[in-house]
Amino acid sequence: MSQEAHHPAAVSPVERRVATLEALLTERGLVPEGFIEEITCRYESEIGPMNGAKVVARAWTDPAYKQRLLADGTAAIAELGFGGPEGDHMVVVENTPAVHNVIVCTLCSCYPWPVLGLPPAWYKDPPYRARMVREPRALLAEMGCPLVGDAEIRVWDSSAEVRYLVLPERPPGTEGMTEAELAGLVTRDSMIGVARL
Amino acid sequence: MSAQLSLSGIDLPRRNGELAFDAPWQSTVFALAAAVVEHAFGGDQEPFRRQLIKAIATQPGRPYWESWTAALEALVDTLPEPLAT
Repeated sequence: MSQEAHHPAAVSPVERRVATLEALLTERGLVPEGFIEEITCRYESEIGPMNGAKVVARAWTDPAYKQRLLADGTAAIAELGFGGPEGDHMVVVENTPAVHNVIVCTLCSCYPWPVLGLPPAWYKDPPYRARMVREPRALLAEMGCPLVGDAEIRVWDSSAEVRYLVLPERPPGTEGMTEAELAGLVTRDSMIGVARL
Repeated sequence: MSAQLSLSGIDLPRRNGELAFDAPWQSTVFALAAAVVEHAFGGDQEPFRRQLIKAIATQPGRPYWESWTAALEALVDTLPEPLAT
């Protein structure tokens, strides 16, 4: 939680609406005891970008796995035990020196939760959603991801049907690393495609 | 990003990203939607997603979690009234 959240403040209209929803849904028996805490904890800690990082590290170290991953993302990701709603139809797109992939959801905020956790705030913002389609090169540069030379940028628009995950390039100088060490190098942003490793 | 790259810290999933929620009401309304999807729609996310797309399209500049709240309110309105007891 942000610092501000710790300061006592007047209850905002939206907080009141959420409290009303909570009371109504609890009364209808749709919110079991402890459900809110459990979900929040699960998404803030257990399901995070580390799942995606493990997928990427496996692909870097196991060529056969990488082939399966690019051929059928959902099945290959499920091999590592990750999946479920919001990750049903995963397509993994591979970065190369010539092609840089980036994901966006122009309609709302579709995002591969099982592998990346909850989307970052900027992913859901209208400017990101609009500009990544219109002027990806400029936006990527602003986000600190300058592209070398004239690599082609491919923008993938996520939907309820398909969720994308970017397979970043393995950084040079990591030849001796174990899979676990490699997973530690993989950032969420690199799997969205707004950063390079 | 101020990610702390620690090879031994790969089980610290927050190191990669900013916090997902800026205030407790946001995580609450997130979980409430999850509860409704799971317990009122049998895990089908599509009805909520449709409301969210509509809520965002109606007011594109509105903060995300407020659109989320509006979407959940709209979805709850479509639920059948509980039987009187």
